[in-house]
Amino acid sequence: MLDKQELQALTNCALCANMCKYTCPIYLASGSETLSPQKIARLILYEDKDLLEDRQGFFDVVFSSAMCGACSRHCIYEAYDLRKFIQKARSKAHREGALPEETRKRLETFREFGNPNGERQLVDEGTSTAGYFLSCSGYKDEGVLRAMRRIVEASGQQVRIFGGADICCGAPLYYAGDTDGFEGAARKMAADIREKGLDRVIVDCPNCMRMMTKVYPEVGVDLQAEVIHTSEFLLGLLREGRIEVRKESARATYHDPCILANDFHITEAPRAILGELGFELQEPAYSENHAHCCGGPAGARIGHAGLADKVRTMRIAELKQTEAEVYASACPTCKAVLSESGIKDVTELVAERIVNGPGQARA
Amino acid sequence: MKLTTYFSERGAAPPAFIEGVRDIVGPDNVSQKECDLISYSLDYWLYGILLSKDGKLPSLPSAIVSPGTTEEVQEVLRLANRFEVPVTPFGGGSGVLGGAVPLGGEVVLNLQRMNRFMSLDETSMVAEAEAGIIGGNLERELNHRGYAMGNIPQSLYCSTLGGWIATRAVGQFSTKYGKIEDMVLGMEAVLPTGELLKVKPVPRRSVGPSLMELLLGSEGIMGIVTKAVVSVHPLPESTVKESFVLDSVAAALDVVRRVMRAEARPAVVRIFDDSESERYFPEIGRRVTVIFIIEGEKDLVARDTEVVRRIASEGGGEARGEAPVDIWLRKRFDIGLGPMIMQHGGVVDTIEVVSLFKDAKALYDDMLASMKAVEGALEVSGHFSHFYKEGACLYITFAGLPKDAHRYYLDTWNAAMEATLRHNGSISHHHGIGFWRTRYMNRELGDTGVELLRRLRQAADPNSIMNRGKVVDAG
Repeated sequence: MLDKQELQALTNCALCANMCKYTCPIYLASGSETLSPQKIARLILYEDKDLLEDRQGFFDVVFSSAMCGACSRHCIYEAYDLRKFIQKARSKAHREGALPEETRKRLETFREFGNPNGERQLVDEGTSTAGYFLSCSGYKDEGVLRAMRRIVEASGQQVRIFGGADICCGAPLYYAGDTDGFEGAARKMAADIREKGLDRVIVDCPNCMRMMTKVYPEVGVDLQAEVIHTSEFLLGLLREGRIEVRKESARATYHDPCILANDFHITEAPRAILGELGFELQEPAYSENHAHCCGGPAGARIGHAGLADKVRTMRIAELKQTEAEVYASACPTCKAVLSESGIKDVTELVAERIVNGPGQARA
Repeated sequence: MKLTTYFSERGAAPPAFIEGVRDIVGPDNVSQKECDLISYSLDYWLYGILLSKDGKLPSLPSAIVSPGTTEEVQEVLRLANRFEVPVTPFGGGSGVLGGAVPLGGEVVLNLQRMNRFMSLDETSMVAEAEAGIIGGNLERELNHRGYAMGNIPQSLYCSTLGGWIATRAVGQFSTKYGKIEDMVLGMEAVLPTGELLKVKPVPRRSVGPSLMELLLGSEGIMGIVTKAVVSVHPLPESTVKESFVLDSVAAALDVVRRVMRAEARPAVVRIFDDSESERYFPEIGRRVTVIFIIEGEKDLVARDTEVVRRIASEGGGEARGEAPVDIWLRKRFDIGLGPMIMQHGGVVDTIEVVSLFKDAKALYDDMLASMKAVEGALEVSGHFSHFYKEGACLYITFAGLPKDAHRYYLDTWNAAMEATLRHNGSISHHHGIGFWRTRYMNRELGDTGVELLRRLRQAADPNSIMNRGKVVDAG
């Protein structure tokens, strides 16, 4: 049951005119009113009041959300985030053992291997109080890891690269509604970072960043380390002259990862990196705070693959309209999901253009 | 506890029909799941929204069918005719008169999959889009290319192009860019029988009565628009914001009337009465505020601005500069107060009517007094917007905390409509009829007018399958 304050906030949303639905990628790709934010809010309200008969149908709806934060970004009510209520409903589904099949399978993998990918090697390279956390998507994408190693080496910076094995931020558990499991993963991550003595963690995945900075505190976990995104780290290196890059004259389109844009408002740093590399930016019609997610954020991917695919197709078409020569993003998940467009992570674009040797900084 | 319905029980379409539509649109695009039936049971008819918070819905549709192409819409309607299954079209679901409510548990035809921006012709200044595109996204696509359609209703972010056409919608910048009927140059529509009507896009024609006019404002009873070609404008080179404070609605109306008579073309003109001024602009307080946005090519903007300033000054307007306009621009899509009032049992709604200038002030006075006299009324306020050389739209917002919500709602609407008719006004400027306003249609159009609409409807839809209970009864 929702408390009085929560009920009021949710009811405002349920009685609203759905003024945010134009920006919801799940609604736009599916054309389904049911999956628009206000209707999801109404259904959660009805479920809370025990008015629904088809509980599984309801749980299917809440597991259809991309959890990308677009609706809350454009909400007329200050500080309201529909994801909080979707998350509560997902937790209920988890408690009742009513998870969608794809989600259940992913959880099983997580329970066996401590991560959503399955068996994997431990990565732990270098010694420093600054760490680069290799996300689950980053682990699968060798190109991003190779690029980061190259950048770290060229910059002469000491960065401890860690991840793999069972080191995971816990996002898959969180989005599956496994609250206890997530809390455990958060504590484990905090202990690992403490044990490594890290005071700064660079993260390539915006979802990991969201977990570490915004969701861990909700379950009482304080990472006691500054968390920044790769794009901020890379821009710092470029601007401080720690890496020297070859400039290119080509047109590039940047895809904003949803969580990075909606939750962290980081839209300028990746664009500035592309500017430092000499690219001329070609913006798609939907970009920055109006960008649509790739279809692979934890919310959609773990629920319904078919729906995620519709979002992916829509986003690729939007990006392709710019007819750019290079497509870039700043999230390994986006890169994997949008691979058909030949998209690269900004980390790779920077690494490919480094001209200085190890530690040979300009300044 | 279970959901309850107050118009009819859940509809039941024949299984053979459901099977047939699954073959047409694909099994994923036909649903009879409870969550879908709930989600398409209501649009933004505000009394219905009030009731919905407690799980009371008008009725549950029998199925949701979501075609992806014009051809699929045709096939679905042909099948609906064969089985005589009633169909209610659903665009963005933002209509406030219940036009998309499946009153009798009809099959809902959801058009929101057909939401593509298709093309822009910069030479002819026209763009084509599918009818299910959300207005805000249509405008974004155009803005991205350096153009604007300029139809900016308060529902911009939740209403569709097809919905605008179906209700003869109007946006906040209408005084310069026109109303939807001025913007649509061509369309593709599926008649209730499933036949395809194509009206090619040209600036004007003289080929008998306008077929597009049969679709504009028809709310689905004459067919379903699936694509439209609309007129576009270059993004404005220059924008000027002006505001003036006056002591009475009459003085403000006179200023705007003279601006329109001078044939200046501001995009936005709004007169806020003392209550709305106080609500929007606390620093102005209980006086009457007029705002203007003048935009376009810079020399023309400069000329129109001069005309507006001169006439406002002659009419006694105190210039207040850009600030009130910026406040309005910031707040214009914020409908957040309505849901908060409804949560506490309050009844809220808006009513927009239109009259000639000669009747405008008396209509305003009478509507406000009549609506305020209804038992349970808390607040009634108004603004004028969408100006013409001949008259203007009056837009009233009301809220009440009555003992009997339904009685209050009905009495307030009756009071507003009676006042409108007393002062020669038309009962709707741009929200349309839906089902809620049908009760006033005979007074509006006369028995002959309503009968003509019935006959047209019957001719277009011999099996009476389309959007039953809307605009005029099928007869």
